Amino acid sequence: MKIEDVVCPFCGCLCDDLVVEVEGTRIVSVENGCTLANEKFMGDHRLKTPIRREGKGWKETTYDEAIRETAQILCDADRPLLYGWSGTHGEAQSIGIHLAEILGALVDNTSTVCHGPSILAIQEVGHPGCTLGQVKNRADVVVYWGTNPIDAHPRHMSRYTTFADGFFLKDAFRDRKLIVVDVRKSESANIADEFVRIQPGGDYAVLSALRAIVQGKRSIIPPSVAGVSREQLFRVADLFLSAKFGAIFFGLGLTMSRGKSKNIRNAIELTEELNRHTKFIISPMRGHWNVYGSNEVFTWITGYPYAVDFARGIAFYNPGETTSVDVLSRKECDACLVVASDPGAHFPKACAEHLARIPTVQIDPHVNATTHLSRIQIPVAVTGIDAEGTAYRMDGVPIRTRMLFKGNYPSDTAVLEQLYAIVKEIKGP
Amino acid sequence: MKFLLNTGRTIRQGSYVERKNSVAYQEEATSLCMNPVDMMNLELEEGSQVRVESEKESVIMKVHPALWITPGEVFVCLGPYANHLVKPETHGSGMPDFKGTMVTITPTSEPLVTVAELMEQCGGVRYED
Repeated sequence: MKIEDVVCPFCGCLCDDLVVEVEGTRIVSVENGCTLANEKFMGDHRLKTPIRREGKGWKETTYDEAIRETAQILCDADRPLLYGWSGTHGEAQSIGIHLAEILGALVDNTSTVCHGPSILAIQEVGHPGCTLGQVKNRADVVVYWGTNPIDAHPRHMSRYTTFADGFFLKDAFRDRKLIVVDVRKSESANIADEFVRIQPGGDYAVLSALRAIVQGKRSIIPPSVAGVSREQLFRVADLFLSAKFGAIFFGLGLTMSRGKSKNIRNAIELTEELNRHTKFIISPMRGHWNVYGSNEVFTWITGYPYAVDFARGIAFYNPGETTSVDVLSRKECDACLVVASDPGAHFPKACAEHLARIPTVQIDPHVNATTHLSRIQIPVAVTGIDAEGTAYRMDGVPIRTRMLFKGNYPSDTAVLEQLYAIVKEIKGP
Repeated sequence: MKFLLNTGRTIRQGSYVERKNSVAYQEEATSLCMNPVDMMNLELEEGSQVRVESEKESVIMKVHPALWITPGEVFVCLGPYANHLVKPETHGSGMPDFKGTMVTITPTSEPLVTVAELMEQCGGVRYED
């Protein structure tokens, strides 16, 4: 059976035009998908049953036993951390936050190690953004700053920018100017009209120089700023100013390098300067398919987008203190529930060591680095394949993912609902 | 020699991200991209093994030539090997310096370790799927 308009649950593009052929509980072909989508749908490398660590080995266990033991671990802990959430649907994220509230736990999502600094900047100076549809139909200047969409978001260019014809851009590849700013000549930089190579850690200075040029202060620009020549800075600023509609997309090259949230703040303020001359927008390239959704769900329930601490009985938010890397490296939490992410692979070693030290439980369809650090792993259905639920695209548009077949695994929602019910029973009214 | 370690997504890393116990994932996550001029200075061939050391930690990786990287910098895809070298210090931001760790690179003949072995070094117990 061929299913059309399937939503891809891999990256923040949430491409919704895939055609997937299903035979029973097996996917046999994928059309329109990128390499990442093909691997996601065609890969069949799931953990078969719940597993539990016993001594120096692992034993299979049942869902009921695994969930009951997880509930007991969380209830016994003084400072549990509930981490992850970006690889599951909004309904499951919502249960996770309610679980954190009754446990008095700290709940954090993967923004903490991707666009957390972007959120901090947006909280300071706002977010002049728009939907990707607007970019596709209007943007004649596109900037990728500290991001390499060809590898990380392979269809971003073909669906929304360089290779996508739009309502006002009938020949997008020729009509749109593409500027790539990076410390390395990435695949995306190879096809840019203008590649701006910055010295590592120099983004803030280059953004400041561009702001000065846009403000008409060309005479104060030195011959070179963080490895970028004054001539190139003038050329890029002129491209910005000649745009009818410009779109800046930025990635972890800004959030993870020196300056972090202040880089983003400067980029947003450059966008604001440009809006005095023409129309410009700026948006983060979100990584996990539903990381934006985790920020939305966290915010509408707690008031804060990530790093929310319920230890005081109310929601408390202080990135740098209540963020997962800080909490784990301080050896503060004494139990951890990981849902739909892999901190073992993506956190520094000191954090992985603490996850191994404390009882860590993982709810995830696949064996990953965190599996080896855990005491229990509970496999679940993959949202968008054998479970359905709501996700948010990188531009904040909610999209309903579909269940392509009914498999044998419970969804994240089903497991978390059961876990929540047991915790509530243990905690009492 | 000292280098600035940069990390980021690669399409191969993304392709194997749900098979972290696989050889393919291990190969990608231990691939260290270096400018050929730096490789010449260190007398390294493509595929040579190197010890990559940060302030306190070290891992073994395989070097690959990359003209797209500036001399003095190296690139490894995000993953447990690169993150092994990154300090947990976030400077009050919540975000470690994933793109700004100084490392020392020296040739070695020591073997690569698997993801499971790396996690065992962190105190975990390997699960073979």
